[in-house]
Amino acid sequence: MNALTVALEIFRYKPGHPMRYDTFTVEIEETAHVIDAIDLVWARHDPTLTFRRACHHSSCGSCALRINGIERLPCITRITDVCDGKTPIRLEPLRNFPIVSDLVVDVSEFFQRMSATGMTITCEAEDYLPLTVDSFAVADVVPKMVELPENLSRFNRFEQCIECGICMSACPTMATDRKFLGPAGLAAIYQARHKTDDPVTVKHLLGLADGEHGVWRCHSAFECTEACPQAVDPAGKIMALRRELALRRLQRLFRK
Amino acid sequence: MQTLNYTKTKQAARWFDVRRRKAGMWAYALNRITGIGLVIYLYLHLGVLSLLIRGQSSWDTFVGVARSPFVLTLDVILLAGILIHGLNGLRLAITGFGFSMGAQKALFIIVMLIGAITLLIAAIKIFTI
Amino acid sequence: MSENPFAREPRPTTAWLWQVFTGVGLVVLLGLHMIANHFVAKGGLRNYHEVVAYLRNPAILSLEILFLLCVTTHALLGVRAIFLDFGLSDRDETILSQILKWIGVLTIGYGLVVMWCVIR
Repeated sequence: MNALTVALEIFRYKPGHPMRYDTFTVEIEETAHVIDAIDLVWARHDPTLTFRRACHHSSCGSCALRINGIERLPCITRITDVCDGKTPIRLEPLRNFPIVSDLVVDVSEFFQRMSATGMTITCEAEDYLPLTVDSFAVADVVPKMVELPENLSRFNRFEQCIECGICMSACPTMATDRKFLGPAGLAAIYQARHKTDDPVTVKHLLGLADGEHGVWRCHSAFECTEACPQAVDPAGKIMALRRELALRRLQRLFRK
Repeated sequence: MQTLNYTKTKQAARWFDVRRRKAGMWAYALNRITGIGLVIYLYLHLGVLSLLIRGQSSWDTFVGVARSPFVLTLDVILLAGILIHGLNGLRLAITGFGFSMGAQKALFIIVMLIGAITLLIAAIKIFTI
Repeated sequence: MSENPFAREPRPTTAWLWQVFTGVGLVVLLGLHMIANHFVAKGGLRNYHEVVAYLRNPAILSLEILFLLCVTTHALLGVRAIFLDFGLSDRDETILSQILKWIGVLTIGYGLVVMWCVIR
């Protein structure tokens, strides 16, 4: 396997010290992902570099950051996709989150939004899991229909959203409005709303979305859907919630 | 926990940072810029209309100035802002309720093309009328 | 444990719906206004007597009043939306809405006064 020499320009910040960018050069296999390069920087050059990573296969969402200005998951972004051989690969933390240290951001308010919707991390699956091209952003996976083994009646499947925060970083409204539920929060409300028929729960969830800082704060930049690594389509879910809320208002108006 | 937070002003600059972003973000930034411009123009326009209360000579003097090439050029820029904001606004009204979401980028290109053609025709008329 | 601020149901709003409604109306009304005042009028602008004659037409006057209502509402809702994007406190949001409401009322009032002075 060929080795590459890659330069990484990494955002550095420690509380009480000014921000800066440090450049590191690493030797890495050409099949490696960006997260491997960050690991090498930490292991061989600077153990004070702070970053998050866990699953290494886009299930946990921990490693999300900006690569050359764009929100991505470094665990599934190949070095060769972002390295042009001339300029260093620029690594920065997600936008619109308070920065704790280097590439690590404070996600506590993000998880407050997610927990407010009561969305569970797993859901009951259909008998067949239809896998489409849209569902797989990971390179080279050929989609096909999956049949259940005979001794299983259904799969237990994870929600598409891995709560990585990439959509929140890409959203221009999240830059200035800390009260905004954000694309992830609103997509979670949509998912939770469509998992239940209980009218009280539905009313509460739609109520959460119906405020000035819910669905109506979105200005249709669609960057959340563009940036999402898991095809959640937060923008589509926000607009679907709007449609439902507007229709309910019309129905109430005519009932009067 | 001590964290780094940017000021709201610095964050607001992000509204207009379209580098490496797609059509939807361009449309958002353009809509915001043209919207702010049009609000300023609205109040300037309403202010100018007070010349009508002052009487015929004030208004007709203004009309003479308004027919100068400089002001006509400003009119073309104003019309560009109106077309961008209005046509993109129609796109937002459609996609805002979840219709044609898959075509939102194509819709942006289409409305901008319609706007450009309309602007060209209108600009010729403005200078030749 | 402190309360989760995102779990509290907020007051519902129709501002965005009014923004769309007036916006769609403006595409028609502003189009008519522009064509009538700048493309149909000889020389691209009406002189004083032409403006008076134009506004004394009841149908035109009604459309211009409707246009004034739509454009003022749409413009100030847009300004409000930009300020709300800063995530103001609930109190500041209420103050802002009140201020913009009164600016709207004064703007419309001023427009109506101008029209009245012209046609009288």
